[in-house]
Amino acid sequence: MHRVYNVLIKITESVLVIIFGLLVVNVVWQVVSRYVINQPSSFTEEFARFALIWLTVLGTAYINGQRQGHLSMDFLLHRLSNHKRQKRQKLIQVLMAIFAFVVMVIGGGNVVYTTLSLGQTSPSLLIPLGYVYVIVPISGLIIIFFSVYNIKTSNFNS
Amino acid sequence: MNIEILSAIVLFSSFAILLVNGVPVAYSIGISTSLVLIMNIDFIPSVTTTSQRMTTGVDNFTLLAIPFFILAGDIMNTGGVARRLINFAKSLIGSLPGGLAYVNVLSAMLFGSISGSAIATASAIGSTLTDKMENEGYPREFSAAINISSSTTGLLIPPSNVLIVFALASGGMASVAALFVAGYVPGILVGLSIMIVIYLYVKRNGFSEDKRVKFKNLFNDFRRAFLSLTLLFIVVGGIVAGIFTATEAAAIAVIYSAILGFCNKELSIKDFKLILLRSTKTTAVVMFLIATSMAMSWLFSFQGIPQILNSLLVDSVSNPILVFLFINIILLVVGTFIDMTPAVLIFTPIFLPVVTELGMHPVQFGIVLVLNLCIGVCTPPVGTLLFVGSGVAKVSVMKVMRPLIIFLAAMTVILILITFLPEISLWLPRFFGLID
Repeated sequence: MHRVYNVLIKITESVLVIIFGLLVVNVVWQVVSRYVINQPSSFTEEFARFALIWLTVLGTAYINGQRQGHLSMDFLLHRLSNHKRQKRQKLIQVLMAIFAFVVMVIGGGNVVYTTLSLGQTSPSLLIPLGYVYVIVPISGLIIIFFSVYNIKTSNFNS
Repeated sequence: MNIEILSAIVLFSSFAILLVNGVPVAYSIGISTSLVLIMNIDFIPSVTTTSQRMTTGVDNFTLLAIPFFILAGDIMNTGGVARRLINFAKSLIGSLPGGLAYVNVLSAMLFGSISGSAIATASAIGSTLTDKMENEGYPREFSAAINISSSTTGLLIPPSNVLIVFALASGGMASVAALFVAGYVPGILVGLSIMIVIYLYVKRNGFSEDKRVKFKNLFNDFRRAFLSLTLLFIVVGGIVAGIFTATEAAAIAVIYSAILGFCNKELSIKDFKLILLRSTKTTAVVMFLIATSMAMSWLFSFQGIPQILNSLLVDSVSNPILVFLFINIILLVVGTFIDMTPAVLIFTPIFLPVVTELGMHPVQFGIVLVLNLCIGVCTPPVGTLLFVGSGVAKVSVMKVMRPLIIFLAAMTVILILITFLPEISLWLPRFFGLID
């Protein structure tokens, strides 16, 4: 389990850093192509929007795997005894996993299925929109794995 | 019971319960949104819609400015920008009686606008100045209070991520360029109001004047800070002149600050990778918050809440002054419980139609809303800035609250001024022809 966790963290980390780096290059290119070579690029804006979806959704999953996780109101949590806090934190992990399963895996999967079966493609890059949205169920599954891992190894911020 | 009322009760109570029990804010918003939707429509359509609203909510080119400004700010933090700005502020006004306190305000304003993050500002400026201020006789909690309140100015003085979020939430009624320019005067006014409080404190406690810094040193410190300050000019100037969009300006800010860091040898390739990863984390937290907030905001309009509130407020309370006061009070209360970004995304669609119907300009409302929430982030229970600022100064939150209340009162005075005097926010964007 530790091995899977480490590999998963490494992969998401690399993908996210690459996406972020590409995003910067992409938008700078948009400016350069408009002013320097006078040929406004047509695909940059679309690529940027899709990459931002990936950055957001996969990034969310990545944060779920971190000890110092998402922004939360934790001052009441810190007033609990050690034992109770651990229990509460496990419950929070379960809730996040349920959300990931219901909204991201089922709901997100349904979005992917619908857009793919309708054959919707993006206007300028011509990629099927389902490929863009597929990151949602994938990240949902990653979040569920991280929740299980966090509960088993007490990987919480204490 | 009526399903609308039941939905509203479930929404707010489930959200509150999740939040106080330590469920991350973004998840609390997402869970209570999907819960209410499941109550109203079938299961599969409701989870599909929630997922869809979350993704389309961040499918936006303008929003991309936020990760870029986060990254640019992070690169700047790693280089010596904070130190250079503090030195410049010190040689400019450090010799006044109580100079260091003013230096704190001025450097927070400069650094806050460059970094775009109140939290980064409070930790960068506070960690450098609190000890020095203690040596000169300021109690630590007083320094922390100055640092916390003045760090909010960067959220009004452009470039500001919160104002970008507002532009998005306003649905095109307020442009990023107009909002950015509108933020200058109110942001500077907040800084000045904090300085006035400091002036009164310094006078009562008798601080002595320092020797003036030689002009040559002032010039040198200015020269060192100059290239960092130029960035503000490029970014805001470029957006206002219509040369590039906010997102493009932010990407240029990333490149500019990276080149500056490499040239000054304050940044290595290895640092750069670490910074990119750190910014990715910050980005993910902020963007997921935006994604779920967009879903909740959509749910509100799906249930027709803006219309209900609009008819309730506009028809029953005929006096605009009362409505503006009422909205301000609600926002102040909301701001103490909810973080800034979700608050902007959720409450803008609800209140913007009301205030515009009563004659307030959308740009002015943006500034009013953000200043309201600036006060909110400085107060418990959810004041993130308060916690970071107290942590940096190593004093307890409760101790900081006492001096902080005076500064928050000063900010509230400015809030009332900008609510009832539209020209404070609007004359500068009007001067540049950004609004009519």
